[in-house]
Amino acid sequence: MTPQPKVLIVDDEPDYLRIAAKIAAGAGCAVVTAATAAEGVALGARELPDLVLMDVGLPDGSGFDAARALRREKRLSSVPVIFFTVRSELDMVREGLSLAKVGYVLKPFDPDDLERRIREAVLPS
Amino acid sequence: MKPGGPRIACVTAAPEKRDFLKAALHALRPEFYPSAAAFLGQCPSPVSRLAVLDQALPDMSGRDLAAALRREISASSLLLVLLGGPRSSPAEISLGLENGADDYFDFPPEPGLFRARLLNLLARGRGASLPPPPGEFRFGGLVISPEARTVAVGGKALNLTALEFDLLAYFLRTQGRVISRSVLLEQVWKGGTDPGPRSVDKRIEVLRSKLGPAGAAIRTVFGLGYIFKI
Repeated sequence: MTPQPKVLIVDDEPDYLRIAAKIAAGAGCAVVTAATAAEGVALGARELPDLVLMDVGLPDGSGFDAARALRREKRLSSVPVIFFTVRSELDMVREGLSLAKVGYVLKPFDPDDLERRIREAVLPS
Repeated sequence: MKPGGPRIACVTAAPEKRDFLKAALHALRPEFYPSAAAFLGQCPSPVSRLAVLDQALPDMSGRDLAAALRREISASSLLLVLLGGPRSSPAEISLGLENGADDYFDFPPEPGLFRARLLNLLARGRGASLPPPPGEFRFGGLVISPEARTVAVGGKALNLTALEFDLLAYFLRTQGRVISRSVLLEQVWKGGTDPGPRSVDKRIEVLRSKLGPAGAAIRTVFGLGYIFKI
């Protein structure tokens, strides 16, 4: 039996965290959540998720830096990341896309688009 | 089309869309990019005047890419066309247009009609080539100048506090999207001294009142937050 893919969601805003967790669970994933960059990095190293959904503006730092920190963990060096954020400046989008590989989603997000990206990232095609 | 004509950027990873665009737009010298990242790597191109964005890009939705491009002054003259799926809902089309697309097509569109509408857009784009004063936004009687940090309604200058101006400028940048109170606190208040979501409501009430009839553009979305929509 294929193990259930695990998604780590890092967002300090409870509304978005709750909605994203529901979408990921609906896509058949197990979900772990964190509200800060530090908590997300620590949880990621422990849980070894198959996918990370990361806010960019976290209370203790940038989601970009948190994603870089996660990737420094050997077993997470190629973990796919989807950034979901209100930051739509092109320089931010460029930096996010160069790090994320999988996606950059603007809040408030389209639930169908987010679910499709999660499925494509974690489920075998 | 002569060699110096408008160049069109086509952003899609889907082979069937690429083949369609190649055939429909061959005379308009289309250039192809397989992802948002690849397109943004060269954007704003000095030669692209119109970009066709696949709604389902591998790394970003076409709608989000359009929204990001629209708020960038250096790309503000770029015409944007979204290419959706076979049966997009009216809501999907509306959202695409509200986020800055100039047109939206289900795929596959009729090739002749598609080409004709793109040529119309390009022609109108040329006709509207006089740029607005730098950094000035007009919505009916409302004129906002982010650089001078001034706002006028019906020609009369308004006296806004710094925070009220930042709030209005943020709504301007995110128009058409629902913004929660906590996002406003994060992005506008930036962890300042205002204590919580209720203070957001109070400030918005004051801002609406100062804007007069134009204040109706700041709408409450029950249970979610606010949306700025003219």
